[in-house]
Amino acid sequence: MNGQNSKEIFFDKSILLSLKAELLKKKEEALEKKHLPQHNVQNFKPSVSEKKNKSEANKTSLKDKLKVIDTDELEACRKSKAALEKKAELYEHLADSVGDSKLAGQFLVDFKGKKQENIQHPKQDEAEEKEDVFHEENESEWIEFTDFLGRTRKCLKSDLDYYQRRDQELKKIVTNESNDDKSDTTEQSSKEVEKPLLVQKTNDYLQSLREKWEEKERELLAKEKDIHYQDLLFDEARIHGVGYYSFSTDETERKKQMEELIKTRQETLKAQEQAEKLRKERDDMIAARVAAARARQRMRAGLPPEDPEEKKKDFTTCLLQFLTQQKDEADKKAKEEEEKAKKEREEERQKFREAYIREWDVGKDGVQGNVKKFREMSQEEYVEQQRSKRINEFAPPQTSTSEKSTYTFSKEGRKIDSDNKTKSWSEVRPVKTPPPPNISDITDDTNKGLYFTTKKPETVVKYKNFIKATEPTPIVNELSDDEDVQRQPESKFNGNKAEIAPPPTYEYYGPEAKYRKTDKPFKSDIREAMEQGTKSLETKESNRKIGKHYDFTFD
Amino acid sequence: MTASEVSYNRKIISEDLSNVEFDTSEDVEVIPTFDSMGLRDELLRGIYTYGFEKPSAIQQRSILPIVKGRDVIAQAQSGTGKTATFSISILQSLDTTLRETQVLILSPTRELATQIQKVILALGDFMNVQCHACIGGTNLGEDIRKLDYGQHVVSGTPGRVFDMIRRRVLRTRSIKMLVLDEADEMLNKGFKEQIYDVYRYLPPATQVVLISATLPHEILEMTSKFMTDPIRILVKRDELTLEGIKQFFVAVEREEWKFDTLCDLYDTLTITQAVIFCNTKRKVDWLTQKMQEANFTVSSMHGDMPQKERDNIMKEFRSGQSRVLITTDVWARGIDVQQVSLVINYDLPNNRELYIHRIGRSGRFGRKGVAINFVKSDDIRILRDIEQYYSTQIDEMPMNVADLI
Repeated sequence: MNGQNSKEIFFDKSILLSLKAELLKKKEEALEKKHLPQHNVQNFKPSVSEKKNKSEANKTSLKDKLKVIDTDELEACRKSKAALEKKAELYEHLADSVGDSKLAGQFLVDFKGKKQENIQHPKQDEAEEKEDVFHEENESEWIEFTDFLGRTRKCLKSDLDYYQRRDQELKKIVTNESNDDKSDTTEQSSKEVEKPLLVQKTNDYLQSLREKWEEKERELLAKEKDIHYQDLLFDEARIHGVGYYSFSTDETERKKQMEELIKTRQETLKAQEQAEKLRKERDDMIAARVAAARARQRMRAGLPPEDPEEKKKDFTTCLLQFLTQQKDEADKKAKEEEEKAKKEREEERQKFREAYIREWDVGKDGVQGNVKKFREMSQEEYVEQQRSKRINEFAPPQTSTSEKSTYTFSKEGRKIDSDNKTKSWSEVRPVKTPPPPNISDITDDTNKGLYFTTKKPETVVKYKNFIKATEPTPIVNELSDDEDVQRQPESKFNGNKAEIAPPPTYEYYGPEAKYRKTDKPFKSDIREAMEQGTKSLETKESNRKIGKHYDFTFD
Repeated sequence: MTASEVSYNRKIISEDLSNVEFDTSEDVEVIPTFDSMGLRDELLRGIYTYGFEKPSAIQQRSILPIVKGRDVIAQAQSGTGKTATFSISILQSLDTTLRETQVLILSPTRELATQIQKVILALGDFMNVQCHACIGGTNLGEDIRKLDYGQHVVSGTPGRVFDMIRRRVLRTRSIKMLVLDEADEMLNKGFKEQIYDVYRYLPPATQVVLISATLPHEILEMTSKFMTDPIRILVKRDELTLEGIKQFFVAVEREEWKFDTLCDLYDTLTITQAVIFCNTKRKVDWLTQKMQEANFTVSSMHGDMPQKERDNIMKEFRSGQSRVLITTDVWARGIDVQQVSLVINYDLPNNRELYIHRIGRSGRFGRKGVAINFVKSDDIRILRDIEQYYSTQIDEMPMNVADLI
């Protein structure tokens, strides 16, 4: 910047002259301004009394009572200090970058000129300052006011308006610059300066750490290679596992370390293997020696070698082994079957999952547009859908969906009945027999006719319906495999008689009864029974086999 | 969450889910050791060197389904290893020879995204995985350069990630898994749109994993829009608070007394490390200033600070150089600093979920923790509500609170 200016001056002397004259004039003006005491640093006085925080007067704890005066003063000092810091920063900024700062134009002070002047006449300034003190004493029409940075300033009464306006402008500039809440400018702006300052002051070590991290980060950014955990650790105080090894952040070094680690690991593995082999060999040797010793003993005692006896022992262990094996096999078979069923279920679900189109996926490439892929509904799903469309008032009386019917659920797990997962015969049966009738209810029922209520049903069962419910035949029919065939006429029959309230047995024959088909307890129980039967048959067979085996070995 | 306490139930498919109770899916396998999970060798090594020995309840249940490719909704108490859960699963299902982004992790704060990146790199230290933190407040050019270099996993915040996707710097073609950490926050009003925007760029039927300590009902209701038949591993709300974190309250008559109480507690705060939560950024600034004026060493962090400063504060706190951190809810979720054993709610949180997350900054992975709530007389009702909601116990602070840390 300076270089450019001097070049220009060098080329045109007339301009230089007029510029010099102008400069001198301005300088004189500036000097005059400087004589005003409010620009004098020595006159600065932090305002203590005004800045007292009202809330602090309410302090109660002992600790703070002791501190209260202290902190107030401290706060005032700190605030003014912060303000000064802010100002210094601003000045420095302006002085450093006179030409390109947008702010520079808004101040009357010629920072550039000042900078150069400072270098030339540092002593003159001192003299001026002395004069300033003198000035202050002389004048009488001074007035005090507090600017937005919290400083108390003095000026001539006639100049008050002007300075207040300038104060406002400065405020605007500073607030815009720091980009803060307008409502909270003083606090925010003072904080921004204060914070790094405090950190610097309290902890040099921390500052050095910060610099170190910054350095590391820069390295990291420059690094064109892989980034690893150790690169990002930044002195984090974290406890790792016992096997933790802090790799070097240098790539080649890290590679070397990694190789070393792998090598040692392999060595360890090899050593472990070898140790195991050695141990086995030793054990074998000892066993052989013991056997030899025993054989010698037997020889000395005149007994035959112990082979046959061993065979006998072998036989019993063999038998035991065989039995356990049989058992294991049976278990395995059962497990396999279970797994197979599970797998089937899982496959079915997988199919469902594959067909599922997420709402957020609609419209993506490869996903059918807004039209959902047509999927054939199963009967249950269709019924369920129709039901959900039905106006509630046209629903069958709630008795049919109360209590007992809720335990029906589809294969897909549409409904829950937690204690209903694996029901045995005996558990299922009593549910089928209806509860004892509450005959008193019939009096209410006489005037009902076509009236369907949506009220939650009581536990009482209507007498009329109860008679139908007791008919035992349908329950027997539930067991047969071709229940579908049976059901259809039944449901038709019910449909014909729709004028009267459907009996509770409706739940057995109505569309919902379809669930019953998939209602596992019966089928699984049968299967279980069959399994048990076949198993027992098998074991019988195998028993026979054991006999054979037995004979064979004895021969 | 022990196996016996989890009641298994079948799922109900229906249009209106507001009355449906969501429960842990049935037949969720529990695998008691890392060894028996069938993980790759290098990953196992990484897990053990990071300090995990035995999988936590959530790890025992969720790792396998995620590895298998299922959509998973996983909930577990704070500090029980949720981040590691999905990190391990991700690392197991990565193809490190394919130098393209295969997994995208989104989290609500930059600090959390960075932390997740660190965990992924730590656990995958032996398998040469590359993970990038794609967060706002950083240099765009650097971000682009790093992504161009080829990253297996990208952990980021929604805004920057979306930006990168739109610029086609972050290519989504090979992405096979999307993880939403702190899922309830991510699917809340503020973030949901952004998540949707990102999701629209992913291949259809991408595997989605939701993870959080709190999963309110309305969040579970909407999951069918972007998940397929998810496996749920949930925790009942009365089991959501940890035994290891003792909760107390200090009753104060007036707001000003909170400051005095805090000063009195300062010696306790510095035993290990402490986090103090305020509800607004301005209050954080105010309290920090006041504490510093009273000659207490504290540091502070909130969302209005420049990212550089936030990073530095985080590093200082993580390295243990600063011991007391005054902050907002930007710190409430997920941040893991082992040595934090005390949390102070200078203001009570604005909702029940935040309470769980805030107190969960202490008591990390089985360590002890203490949470102290400052309550004015009219706040006590709120605290009682929280207490009842989570069936937990919040007593008046005893004199010997320092012994509990």
